[in-house]
Amino acid sequence: MFEIEFNDSGEVAVSGRLDAAQAARAQEFLDAVGDRCVLDLTGLEYISSAGLGVLLRTHKRLMVDDSGLELVNVNKHIADIFRYSGFDKLFVIRAA
Amino acid sequence: MQKMYKRSFDQIQAIVADTERFFAEAKIDESLRMKVDLSVEELFVNMVSYNTETVKDILIEMRSLESGIEVSLTDYDVERFDPTLVGEVDIDAPLAERAPGGLGLYLVLKMADSIHYEYHDRKSKITFTNRLQQSD
Repeated sequence: MFEIEFNDSGEVAVSGRLDAAQAARAQEFLDAVGDRCVLDLTGLEYISSAGLGVLLRTHKRLMVDDSGLELVNVNKHIADIFRYSGFDKLFVIRAA
Repeated sequence: MQKMYKRSFDQIQAIVADTERFFAEAKIDESLRMKVDLSVEELFVNMVSYNTETVKDILIEMRSLESGIEVSLTDYDVERFDPTLVGEVDIDAPLAERAPGGLGLYLVLKMADSIHYEYHDRKSKITFTNRLQQSD
């Protein structure tokens, strides 16, 4: 089960499993974001390289205007994937 | 566990459910799930994406090991492609030089405790293991 939506704080809440079957839906949602964006990953249980590609593509697009993605409430398992991928050096990441 | 899956990303949900069931039945430590799920998805997606000349299903096999699991994925009617020989990804590269894609097999190689590739009779089989480490 994968969900992506704006929460009450105006952040993008991502939950469930962001895998290759869900990457297109996540990309479509994030393509509509036009400013600096905070992704609340509290409910994100799993991410694969397809999901990482969505985050990287969106971050690069937003960084053209010097904004970008900020990833907050990242649990240990997801943080490990970010570290293996070198994403900890590319994004502002705040742990849960 | 031994099961065939259609060549579609839509099968990922079923693979995850079957993996969860196997972990429970074989009493495999849940702390290995993330690594196994990720490696299975990356290898399955790679087979679906790059072997488009066949409609044959992909075989996934799992068996428990002492303090771990062994997983094999077999693709049929396929050219040789050894994922263990995929080059390194420069994870220290700056954002401007990073491109989406190319991370999947790199992550598999990083996550697996061992990985082995076999190819014969146009059959491609990749086997990896994950074992419980003290840090897990």
